[in-house]
Amino acid sequence: MLFRYKSALICFFFVGRLAAQQELMLSSMTDLWHSNSVNPAFYPKDKRIYIGLPAYSVDLAHSGDITFQDIFRKDGDRNIIDLDNAIAKLEPENEMFLDQRIETVSIGLRSRNDKWGLQFSHANVTTGWVQYPKALAEFLWNGNGPYVGETLEIGPKADIFDWNEWSVGLSRRFGKVNFAARFKYLTGAGYLRSDENRTLVSIYTDPDIYQLTLKTDYVFYSSSIVDAVDTSAYGYDFSTRGFGGKSSTENSGYAIDLGFDAQLSDMLSVHVSAVNLGGSIRWKKDAATYTSKNEYLYEGAVIPGIDIINGADSLDFDSQIDTLNDIFKFVKTEGGELTNELPLRIYGGANLKLSEKWSLGFNAMYQTHYERVNLALGVSARWQPLKWLALGGMYSANSRSVANIGLQVVFKPGPVQLYVASDNVLNGFSVKSSPGVNLRAGASLLF
Amino acid sequence: MPFKQLLRYFVPAVFVAVLAWPACTKVDFEDPQLDDHTSEFAFPLFSTTLNLKDLMLKVLNDTLSGDTILVNADNTMTLFYTGDVAEKPASDIFSSFTGGLFPLTDTLSFGPLDSLPGVSISRADLKKGKIGFTIFNLTADTLSGTLRIPQMSKDGVVFTYPFVAPAGELSGSPQIDLTGYVLASDDNTLEFIYAAYTPAGDRVKIPDFFGIPTFIVQFDSLEFSYLQGFWANQRYSLIRDTIEIDINQTNLVGDVQIVNPKVTMRIANSWGFPTRGVIKYLSFIGQNGEEIPLESTVFVDSAVDFNYPKYALNEIGQTKYTDVTLDSTNSNIAEIFNSQPTRLIYEVDGISNAENDPTIVGFLTDSSLISLSMRVELLLEGSAKNFGAEQTIDLNFGNLTDLDTSQVESVEFKLVGENGLPVSSNLQLYFLDEAGVAIDSLFSDGAEDVILSAPVNSEGVATGQTRTEHFIPMSAARFERVRQAKKAFLTTSFTTAQNGTVPVKLLATNNLTLKMGIKARTKY
Repeated sequence: MLFRYKSALICFFFVGRLAAQQELMLSSMTDLWHSNSVNPAFYPKDKRIYIGLPAYSVDLAHSGDITFQDIFRKDGDRNIIDLDNAIAKLEPENEMFLDQRIETVSIGLRSRNDKWGLQFSHANVTTGWVQYPKALAEFLWNGNGPYVGETLEIGPKADIFDWNEWSVGLSRRFGKVNFAARFKYLTGAGYLRSDENRTLVSIYTDPDIYQLTLKTDYVFYSSSIVDAVDTSAYGYDFSTRGFGGKSSTENSGYAIDLGFDAQLSDMLSVHVSAVNLGGSIRWKKDAATYTSKNEYLYEGAVIPGIDIINGADSLDFDSQIDTLNDIFKFVKTEGGELTNELPLRIYGGANLKLSEKWSLGFNAMYQTHYERVNLALGVSARWQPLKWLALGGMYSANSRSVANIGLQVVFKPGPVQLYVASDNVLNGFSVKSSPGVNLRAGASLLF
Repeated sequence: MPFKQLLRYFVPAVFVAVLAWPACTKVDFEDPQLDDHTSEFAFPLFSTTLNLKDLMLKVLNDTLSGDTILVNADNTMTLFYTGDVAEKPASDIFSSFTGGLFPLTDTLSFGPLDSLPGVSISRADLKKGKIGFTIFNLTADTLSGTLRIPQMSKDGVVFTYPFVAPAGELSGSPQIDLTGYVLASDDNTLEFIYAAYTPAGDRVKIPDFFGIPTFIVQFDSLEFSYLQGFWANQRYSLIRDTIEIDINQTNLVGDVQIVNPKVTMRIANSWGFPTRGVIKYLSFIGQNGEEIPLESTVFVDSAVDFNYPKYALNEIGQTKYTDVTLDSTNSNIAEIFNSQPTRLIYEVDGISNAENDPTIVGFLTDSSLISLSMRVELLLEGSAKNFGAEQTIDLNFGNLTDLDTSQVESVEFKLVGENGLPVSSNLQLYFLDEAGVAIDSLFSDGAEDVILSAPVNSEGVATGQTRTEHFIPMSAARFERVRQAKKAFLTTSFTTAQNGTVPVKLLATNNLTLKMGIKARTKY
């Protein structure tokens, strides 16, 4: 399926070699207003009014060594897909991850006595995961000829959805501990998920005379994305509206963020938060289930021997494979309600202020979404040579990689906060030569 | 500190711009196109299974009724070619006496029972018929009396009919129904006795009219249900017929040896007297029209006696059969068949009571007949070597005809044969254009053995299947030519197992599967 997705990357582009890091760096930047998104208890100290300007974060990665340049290249003004290099690098099962967060605006207020805090915000979030077998790429690129006698299982899995968060939060300081809670009203824009237990699509080419056996036991769910599955002729034509569309209150849900930030001493603070507690969205708009369960055998033209014997003095090979509609026979079941859960994230950490200019941080992040789990641990150091400039670095390890070097740069001229950060900066500045991208950038005004 | 302020606000902006420049790229995923590359697609083209039994049924000419194939208990097959059944019904005999006039010259007159030459009837049962008589009374008296025929009776009562003949007038009887009457005579003769009386009671003879009898009896529309008597030695024509042998009328040429061909003559006889069949002509016609006489030790002086139902054994109404089988043990038929004759011509006469035995009482009923049929039996067991055939067939490649071959780099056909017949086949296929000109051939190096014989046991029975695979590569240019062909000229030859040196049995369960797939390398 095609993602209609244009994005302008305006900020620093420190890309990592590996997959999603889920903003571990951001959780160490507790003086940023936008760090509030990972812990509602975070806020820049000594300020009372916070206006979050647009912020953008993206976490995009592909398992293994695949890079953008392995797949896409430019030929004049044409975008060319060339899988020759990419297929060689694929693993038997491959995954693509996407997490994108666009914070449009946020507002925070602190009471004069700094005991109460109130916040409002809006963000658009897209999260996605696609798993596909190497056999799918091989089949699409090479055809079935090289795989005679083999069963190619090519069914992909996907879990992609985007939604809007409309948030209101409240915090209360008790002594040195600030507790906060944030309620988020969720409106879903689009949802597409394959059934985790029914993703069978297989093709077998018999070595006899290449008879084709196509089996499907494939179910996927969609809301506001797929209108129809038309596999007429030999191509697929998903009638889609693409992601990034308008969200609808018909697709609604709720989530809660909880957190605290405790200043144990002048030097030491600890923080813990849980994001998207109980978060789920009920998808009702254009919700449908698409089911294909079929076994199709194509043997070519079967010419009855009796016809030849009785003098049918012609050989007619005009027998064509049925259209993919006839093979896959997707059945659309409309109505009903689809429900999915948001990824649950738990952050924790501690900051140790060594001096006015130096501080250390220890951060952990645990994310779970259905059966996919990611655990990240990081150690960071931050240097603030100037009042308005801070530089930081982080070493982190997660479920998929043990060598990730992150970087942060923060500018705070006057009331402005500008920042860019990445959890993984090892691969340089271009996404095209690496299999992953992790980046966050934003700005805010503090008064 | 203006400089510091400048540094404070603009350095970050410059720094960001420099670092962001390489990354300020709009990533556009719209409308990507596939790069030029080669793919290979494999899919099946066709499959067909030929059953030997269906092939043999086709070989038998559909226009010849009676030809059939029999699957024996051991699944071997026997082809039967049958000629027309020649029948000679008894109606030929019965039609000889359907009526007639009997002028009575005296009060006791005699009339013969006419029939075929050499046949003396001692009894005839009537199932239909009429009798009537006319009298021209020239006397001055009215005469009355009776007509009696002692040899004609019904239910034991002799035929007697009264009459009154007015003086000087022509009078007659009505048509009297004779159904159920029996004519019985030891000497093939009927007696007519009339007694005419004057009114005074004097018996008189009705006078002639100038020598012409004036008392005439007439039989009309006689039909007999039974005749009994003596049939003397008489010869008559029975049948002349031709049996087409289709299996040899194909365009197959080559050396074929049939193990045990047979010709069976079956005579069904319900005539109640001895009949001897005389073979006037019995010959096969070869491939070139040459006559090949069928000689056999079964015939004595080219004749054979037919079985018949016997009067003495009370077998009236029964049919007796006589089967005369000519095979390799008593004739030269095996040698004849190996020259692949195309037809059998035969002519048979019949001789009744060939020994002229006067003691034999013969009979005929109205349903009696004698029939003769000839049948050629071919058990499908034998050997063949280079048994060839040619055929032109139409081709339709369907959607492949319109395929854009500019994207095709090459193709490879895979021809698979799974053969359960004990016969190998050598094949070549020429692709022809609409004008019938060959534009290419399937195999570049001449005909190939596309089907190999199944393994056979010591009895010549196939015991399994032999699978053969042939890969036929074609460049795009060659495929472009071939797929435009409208016809194909097929030449093939068949050889039985072990290079045709041992006889094999063709079973009804034998079959051959032919199938083809294709691999096409495409380029984008």
